[in-house]
Amino acid sequence: MTRKNVAVFTATGCKACENAILDIHYQVSSLARWAHFTFWPYVLGSSWEDLEKSDELDVCFFAGAIRTASDEEAALKLRQKSKILVAFGACAAFGGMPGLSNLHPGGESALCKSPSDDDCPELPPLRSRVAALQQIVQADYILPGCSPPQNYIWAILQSLVCQSESAARISFAASRLPQPIAQAVMAGVLPPGGSIFAGEKAVCASCARIKEEKRFESFKRIHQIDPDPGRCLLEQGLLCQGIATREGCGGLCTGAGVPCRGCFGKAGAVFDPGAKMVSAVSSTFDTTDGEEMKKIAEEFVDLAGTFYRYTMPAQCALLQNRKELK
Amino acid sequence: MNVFEPRIITFLCNWCTYVAADAAGVSRLTQKTNTRVVRVFCSGMVDPSYVIKAFAEGADGVLVGGCHPGDCHYIAGNMKAWRRSFLLKKLLNELGVEDERFRLEWIAASEPHKYAKVVNEMSEGLRSLGSFRSSYSCPSQTPRDHEKAVQSSPFS
Repeated sequence: MTRKNVAVFTATGCKACENAILDIHYQVSSLARWAHFTFWPYVLGSSWEDLEKSDELDVCFFAGAIRTASDEEAALKLRQKSKILVAFGACAAFGGMPGLSNLHPGGESALCKSPSDDDCPELPPLRSRVAALQQIVQADYILPGCSPPQNYIWAILQSLVCQSESAARISFAASRLPQPIAQAVMAGVLPPGGSIFAGEKAVCASCARIKEEKRFESFKRIHQIDPDPGRCLLEQGLLCQGIATREGCGGLCTGAGVPCRGCFGKAGAVFDPGAKMVSAVSSTFDTTDGEEMKKIAEEFVDLAGTFYRYTMPAQCALLQNRKELK
Repeated sequence: MNVFEPRIITFLCNWCTYVAADAAGVSRLTQKTNTRVVRVFCSGMVDPSYVIKAFAEGADGVLVGGCHPGDCHYIAGNMKAWRRSFLLKKLLNELGVEDERFRLEWIAASEPHKYAKVVNEMSEGLRSLGSFRSSYSCPSQTPRDHEKAVQSSPFS
């Protein structure tokens, strides 16, 4: 069989997504049977010249947010060169943590000058707003997560790179993937364009903690309490975003007693993650007195940065509609 | 002359504020015409998403009207709206929506005068505040909470 030409690239990001590709356990050794990595600067040290010399790419995994002019250029170049472009990880899919800088747009002025300015490598010009990959070019598939869980990385590799060539694809028949994707992986054909490689409901659907209608009187941070292992974290006063977040991770964080931070983006039925969280959190306030409500609400710090931690550029309805003010 | 006319989306509870708005019309009270009324069955059903969507789609202000606490047709729907309003206001504020743009008011069916007053007040307030869309430059003009916290920290 012919091997697929594959590229992996990170724009503005921490490259943990690229590490995650290498972290798919022993399956990584079989990858070379199907994939020929023509362009992978982080691991292979490839240069842009290598990309220009190579044939058309079959699949490109694009990680990281679009923050600088060179990120934008890379996105355009890779889009042009590849048949399938995947927004890989929360930054590429929704803008991710770098996207939080959209709360203070304006770019350069926010940068600190280093004491030894002369030896500083020059940073490419910053865009006024951080964008997700989808806001610059069309991405064919989306794989959310910070970083994406191994099973989904394996699923997307099976689906887009191996297609019908690998017997391991059969295992996805009973996976947590939405049915159309799971069927496509099984059949060895491409899933419907624009598919998100994650679940459809909210994280709560796969979180094993028991949800009762408990109220809390004050909001707590993770270091302040030792959460009860079996009970819903939100009901214990922790700010868990599972209720507004797309499932797929299987409740990894909540399983370990850490509140969900929302790296899979908003769940299908949610209009705006912040609004959903406001609604969910407020409903747990245990009071009917206005003053007390106000007091509890004042305990929360940095709501925008918390509720849109990974999704500010792409899923915050209020800021998203401000594109005209670029 | 190009005068700025604010667009105010109002979510009015079917049992109290909507009736008050109706009565305000019937009694021929003078009121500004900047409102777009959405009749809802209870202020408790006005999800924060509705408010955020209204602003995202170009509203300059949002008014939610409900029964006075204790008078809710559904017993405690208005308490739910009240409970949400604090965090919602805080979130909107952090995203660059000024406090005056979002209001939650208790207006009983027998208070058409109060309805007219609130609408006129809000309309005037927003007129001087300007359009939400064009006034929007930076989501937070003031230091955000955690920055304030850092500034006032004894360790800094």
